Amino acid sequence: MSPIKFEIHSSIREPNSNARTGTLSIVKASQPDQDAVKRVIETPGCFMFSIKGSVPHLTPDNMRLQDFGGVNVSLEQLLQMDQPASFASKWPSKSFTLADYLYLKDLILLCDMRDYSSLSSSLTPKTSQQDPHTQRISPNTDRHVNLSTLRGARPLTLDDYLSVVRQFRPDIMVALADNIVESSSRNNESKTEVDVKKEKNDGSRGKADEKRIRKSIDRTLKWLDQILLERQGRDGRIEDRRIEEEKKRKKEKEKIRQARKQEHGQQEQQGEEEVPVEIPEIETEPWEDVALFAHVQGGQFEEERIRSAEETSKREGVNGFIIDLGVYSNGDNSKEERLAHLKTSVDHLPAQKPRMVYGIQTPEDVLKVVALGVDLFDTSYPFILTEEGKASMYSFGPNSTSDETNNNNRWINLWDDEHGDKFVPILESCECYSCKGGKHTRAYINHLLKTHEMLATVLLMSHNLYQYSKFFSAVREAIKTGTLDQYTQDFERQFGVEPVRTGEKHKAQIVVEEALTKRNQRLEPTEPAVVDAIGSGDGDGQSFKRPDDDGGENEKEKKKQKKDSSEQSNP
Amino acid sequence: MKSALTWEVLAKCSTTKARASILTLPHGPVNTPVFMPVGTQGTLKGITPDQIEGLGCQIMLNNTYHLGLRPGQELLDVCGGAHVFQGWNRNLLTDSGGFQMVSLLKLAEITEQGVQFESPHDGSLMLLTPEHSMSLQNSIGADIMMQLDDVVSSLTTGPRVEEAMWRSIRWLDRCIKAHKKPESQNLFAIIQGGLDPELRKKCIEEMVKRDTPGYAIGGLSGGEEKDKFWRVVTLCTDLMPRTKPIYCMGVGYAEDLVVCVALGVDMFDCVFPTRTARFGNALTATGTLCLRQAKFKDDFRPIEEGCDCITCKSYTRAYLYTVVTKETVGCHLISIHNTAYQLRLMRQVGDSIIEDRFPQFIHKFFKDLFVEKSAYPEWAVNALRSVNIDLLKE
Repeated sequence: MSPIKFEIHSSIREPNSNARTGTLSIVKASQPDQDAVKRVIETPGCFMFSIKGSVPHLTPDNMRLQDFGGVNVSLEQLLQMDQPASFASKWPSKSFTLADYLYLKDLILLCDMRDYSSLSSSLTPKTSQQDPHTQRISPNTDRHVNLSTLRGARPLTLDDYLSVVRQFRPDIMVALADNIVESSSRNNESKTEVDVKKEKNDGSRGKADEKRIRKSIDRTLKWLDQILLERQGRDGRIEDRRIEEEKKRKKEKEKIRQARKQEHGQQEQQGEEEVPVEIPEIETEPWEDVALFAHVQGGQFEEERIRSAEETSKREGVNGFIIDLGVYSNGDNSKEERLAHLKTSVDHLPAQKPRMVYGIQTPEDVLKVVALGVDLFDTSYPFILTEEGKASMYSFGPNSTSDETNNNNRWINLWDDEHGDKFVPILESCECYSCKGGKHTRAYINHLLKTHEMLATVLLMSHNLYQYSKFFSAVREAIKTGTLDQYTQDFERQFGVEPVRTGEKHKAQIVVEEALTKRNQRLEPTEPAVVDAIGSGDGDGQSFKRPDDDGGENEKEKKKQKKDSSEQSNP
Repeated sequence: MKSALTWEVLAKCSTTKARASILTLPHGPVNTPVFMPVGTQGTLKGITPDQIEGLGCQIMLNNTYHLGLRPGQELLDVCGGAHVFQGWNRNLLTDSGGFQMVSLLKLAEITEQGVQFESPHDGSLMLLTPEHSMSLQNSIGADIMMQLDDVVSSLTTGPRVEEAMWRSIRWLDRCIKAHKKPESQNLFAIIQGGLDPELRKKCIEEMVKRDTPGYAIGGLSGGEEKDKFWRVVTLCTDLMPRTKPIYCMGVGYAEDLVVCVALGVDMFDCVFPTRTARFGNALTATGTLCLRQAKFKDDFRPIEEGCDCITCKSYTRAYLYTVVTKETVGCHLISIHNTAYQLRLMRQVGDSIIEDRFPQFIHKFFKDLFVEKSAYPEWAVNALRSVNIDLLKE
């Protein structure tokens, strides 16, 4: 029996649409100490994007004010370079799972190897500059995939994977897959002008070749078969071990032969019989309570996409699919091409199992991909808006009326000076933590941004996530009532398309950050180590460096910090 | 002068000078002894107002100096003050901006007229006078506002200390005169006089004549010897009227709080708990955990057993180790715990005073925190001995 239950409620047969609604729920017998809450994600819906298992900026209580039923985490953020993959074996007990570790037992937890929502650049191609994860990571091999951990790249073998999943036991584990992320970024580093020109001409920039794609599918399928066996408690690695043993014996034989040759000066002796290598099967621990999602690949090659989809579909044990957008890093494919690739994959997958795609992000892209019949997404879009100081204003469906005050903006940027004196919530009638009851105003968030206070991103994230969930709920409603296409057109008319993200900071943000840097140099030129220890982007640089608001305790504290940071750097 | 508070002493410790009271302010009651978290810029370091309220916090600090720069007086007037601005319906206390002088002395010039600061945002000059400070604090609308005082570092000696003391008295008079809303906002005087008992005495004598709703002990916590610090505190509490709240500014270490309560102080503030949180340091009854250290990698206990904050209910030290100083959530989580710890400590202190077992509480507190008697800070032993508690005797 599948550990997850996926029910399709309604699918519409509008022209050009395969959209459907459903529920993904956990049917796993609840553990004795677990609340008897039925954990459900309504589809089309999202797993909440997380960093190290925390939804960015939101403490567990604030995160639970949101309406998404699940969280997706990536192993590369949890596993440190210096940790053995079996690090979880130090966990307090066998029954202590990833959900306990991350305090996520009341939500559906999906664990993949890498943070693909940041890797893939949505449907809209992005420059590699915006994709720090794809830089300097070497290609996967037959033996392992490479993860990008906080402290650098580390390999993850199938053995590592299996020991991780046996301890983590998330609701849904994604099978180890050879996803191609390295090709273009490597090329970029050693690229000459001639190369670039050539690529421009033949359109090959950033695309992995067919041979590499084929290889990746083969590897992924091989690992998938091994993982499926292991999940049933069978020995999935017996063939690997047999091949290794054969190699070893051959080597030994060769050695003996060489030795004899030297001793006797004889010619090779005849008559040695090949003894078949017998490897005993090792009994392994099953983990059939964990659902398994598999990556469906194929890059830009239609035949390969079909092969990957069909072969993966044949594996009955697979409970759901994650469809790769194409070449992840720096793919030069247009949005239309990527959509066509997605469609090819989706069309060759069984209808009754859930399908997920990472990094679709913008509402209009979600609408297109929902229409292809994709069920699951992630919430990297609200996160990206939040990091840029933006607050969602878009809406979808029958209640989406033109609002003149918003000028049909899909978002507003709260760094803009014009919000400095707007004592109104981001969006009247919004029920998110930030807007509800008019408690937090645009002027206040503008103030928080400009004073580098961390509450700014807490409030923005609360709002943006809430609006994203409302959007998805309206999409489900539209599918049920057969109005998806109509409202999709309305949406595009009203909100247009997301402007291309430049990665540039808002003018006001640059001013604030420069002033902070300058002042910090002025006030505490001798304490850069402390400042560095905090890292960037937490919007709180000011308070780490201010000597004036700490009640005079800063001297002691500084000394402490100094000592601590030196301890840290020389563990 | 007029007062917008009531002060009801619930219990007095029969051994020390400690007392438990209810201070009722325009935005509700405050149980004292109280620790007031510092939300310098109108926000407590990533913690939402609902979360702060959930921790049982009844009063929070804002900084006049910072709010005066941003969002600025005009906007505060437009929106109706700092409570509304930050969505905080409980009490606020604003300092006058004077404390910034100690640390920014090199950048500030003090004249009889006021203090000239260098703006931390763009380096431009800004003059803060007692009148301007009052006007700003009236716009902010804090339940307790502090007079502008002439703060000198507690390490300063010589005539400058006396000058600052007299000037603070003159500035208090100007503050009282300039204060527009004495019926809805309470002005506290700040006792100056450095480490000199005579100056402190003189200052108290003069300021008590002004009859402000409460008094603060200022000019301490500037790196002076702790043995001198507590002597000034106890001198002040002895000389101040016992019918009004006493606030010791800038004190936040747990042992300092406990000792100062025993010396008769009711109110405290410090950025230490939230500041140190952002470096990954978590406060517990048995000492500070530096969660950045690798030894917490496989430690599956909460920060503190029995703590009911969301951090301790949700996460282990092992998990926190991976997020502190790296993710904003890591900052929020430790800030929440540290604030919960400080507020709980003060609640426990208050309860023990009401049940008249404060001395026993102090003994246990020091034993939990320092384990060995030999590790007890000498100043704390001396200070507590002055109020009839011998820490070294069982």
